[in-house]
Amino acid sequence: MTAGFLLLVGGLIFLSGSALFAFYWAVKDGQLNNLSQAAQTIFDQDEPVGTPTDRFPPKNRS
Amino acid sequence: MKSQSLISSFHPANEPDTLDSAERAQIDASTRGPVLLFFGSAIFWLLIGSLLGLISAWKMTHPSFLDGSAWLTFGRLRPAHLNAVIYGWASAAGIGVGIWLMARLCRVVLMHSKLLISAAIFWNLGVLVGILGILAGDSRSIEWLEFPGYATPILFISYAFIGIWTIIMFRFRKPGHVYVSQWYLFAAFLWFPWLYATANILLIWQPVQGSAQAAINWWFAHNVLGLWFTPIGLASAYYMIPKVIGRPIHSYYLSILGFWSLALFYSWNGMHHLIGGPFPAWMVSASVVASVMMFIPVVTVAINHHMTMRGNFGALKWSPTLRFTVFGAMTYTLVSLQGTSMAIPSWNTFIHFTDHTIGHAHLGLYGFFSMMMFGAMYYIVPRLVGWEWPSATMIRWHFWLAAIGISIMVIALTLGGILQGFAFYDPAVSFRTSLDLATPFRIVRGLSGFLLLAAHIVFAILFTQMLLKLGQPKDGPALFAKPSETDKEVAAV
Repeated sequence: MTAGFLLLVGGLIFLSGSALFAFYWAVKDGQLNNLSQAAQTIFDQDEPVGTPTDRFPPKNRS
Repeated sequence: MKSQSLISSFHPANEPDTLDSAERAQIDASTRGPVLLFFGSAIFWLLIGSLLGLISAWKMTHPSFLDGSAWLTFGRLRPAHLNAVIYGWASAAGIGVGIWLMARLCRVVLMHSKLLISAAIFWNLGVLVGILGILAGDSRSIEWLEFPGYATPILFISYAFIGIWTIIMFRFRKPGHVYVSQWYLFAAFLWFPWLYATANILLIWQPVQGSAQAAINWWFAHNVLGLWFTPIGLASAYYMIPKVIGRPIHSYYLSILGFWSLALFYSWNGMHHLIGGPFPAWMVSASVVASVMMFIPVVTVAINHHMTMRGNFGALKWSPTLRFTVFGAMTYTLVSLQGTSMAIPSWNTFIHFTDHTIGHAHLGLYGFFSMMMFGAMYYIVPRLVGWEWPSATMIRWHFWLAAIGISIMVIALTLGGILQGFAFYDPAVSFRTSLDLATPFRIVRGLSGFLLLAAHIVFAILFTQMLLKLGQPKDGPALFAKPSETDKEVAAV
C-alpha cells in the first residue's frame, strides 16, 4: 500500500511540476512574445494566409 | 541547419526554410501507417459501439428484447457500448488525429512508426479483450473503468508508447513557435497515461475503500473528458478552422489563456458528480467553484472560433471538414455551459440521476468530440491515401444524419430528464409515474440511434472506398459546392 501511495504522490508532484516547468519554459523561451505572429505559424508560402485549403494536394507531389 | 532567430521563424513569409508542398506531403505520408490503422479500427469500433448502444437503448423501453442470453443483458451491453465508443472509437480516432497534427506541427517526418503501430495493435487488443470481458460478465462496475483488470494493462502499454513517442517528436521538432494545438496535444498525451494509471492502481489493483472509490472514479471519469478528449478536440479545431478558411486564429492571446486556464481548472471538476453524496463539503464545493471557473477557457475558445469564422461562414457551404468542425466547436460551447449549469447544486438536485445527464454525455462525446474527429478525418485521410473522397453526396448524408440524429437524441433526453427530475422531487408523484413519464422520450432516443448508426455506416463505406481507392479519380476535393468568388475574397481579408 505504502509503495503504491508513494508512487502516486510522486507522480502527482512530478506531473504538476512538469506543467509548471512547461509554463516557465514557454515564458523564458519567448513562446508568449509576439502572439499575433505566432498565430501565423501554420501558414507558409504554399498555403499562405488567404487561401482556403480544404482541397486535395496537387497530383505531382513527390 | 542554419541558425534562425525566433522572430524569423514567426514570419514564415520571410523565411526560406519553411514547409513547401513536397515536404508537407512527405510528412503527411510518413504518418500514413499508424494514422490509418488508428482511424480504421476506430471506425470499426464506432459501428460496434453504435450497435451496442442502439440495443441498450431499445432494451430500456422494451425489456424483453433479446432477453435470451446472459451476454446480451442490459447490465453488460450498456457498459460494453460505453467502453466501445470511449476507448475503441473516440480515443483511437483522437490518437490518429493527434499523431498527424503532431507530425505536421513539429514539422518533422514521423519517427518510430513501429512504436505507434505496436501501440495501435495493443490498443485494439486491449479494447477487444475488455469488451469481451464485459460481455462475459467480468465488468468492474466502475463507470468508465468497466474493463476487467486483465484488459487495462494492455491499454496502458499502448498509452505509454504514445506518450513516449510524443516526447520524442517534440524533442526533435523544427525550431520555431510551438502552436497552441501542440500544447493541447502534448498535455493530453502525457496527462492521460497518468490519469489512467492512477485510477487503475487505486480502484482495481489496490482498491481504496468506501466512498473514496466514488471520488476517484469521478475524478478519473471527468478528467477523461476534460484532460483527454477536450484537448484533442480543441487541438483539432485550432488547426482545422484557420487552415481551411486560410485565416489565422482571431486572438492567439485568448487561445493561450484558454489552454492554461483549462489546465488549471478542469482537473478539479470531477467532484461535482457527487453533490449530495457522503463527502467532505469542501471537496464538492471546490469542484463546483472550478466548474463555474470553466467559463473562462470555454468562453475564450468560443469567442476565438466565432471571431475567426466571422465573415467566413459561407465556407460551411463547401467544406466538409469545416462543417463538421464548426458543428463540434459550437457544441463545445453549448455542452460546457450546460455542464457548468449542471454543477450548480440547486439545479443538480433536480437533474441528478435523470436522463438529462445521459443527454449531456452524448452532447459532449458525440456532438462535440466525434463531430470534431469526423471533420479532421475528412481533411487528413485524402492526404494520406492520395485519393479524394468519392462522393460529396455521401458526406452530406453523413453530416445530416449525424447532426439531426444527435440533436434529436439530446433534446429528447434533456426534456425527458427534466420532467423526470421534477417528478422525482415531488413526493406526491410515485416513482413508477416518474419512470413512465420518461418512456416516450426514451423511445425517441432509441429512434435517433438508428440515424446515428446509418450515419456511421455511410462513413464506414466512404472510408473503405478511400482505402481501396474506389470511385472515379478526381482533380479537386470533394466539396459540397464550388467555393464562390465572394467566399474567397472574404477569406483573403
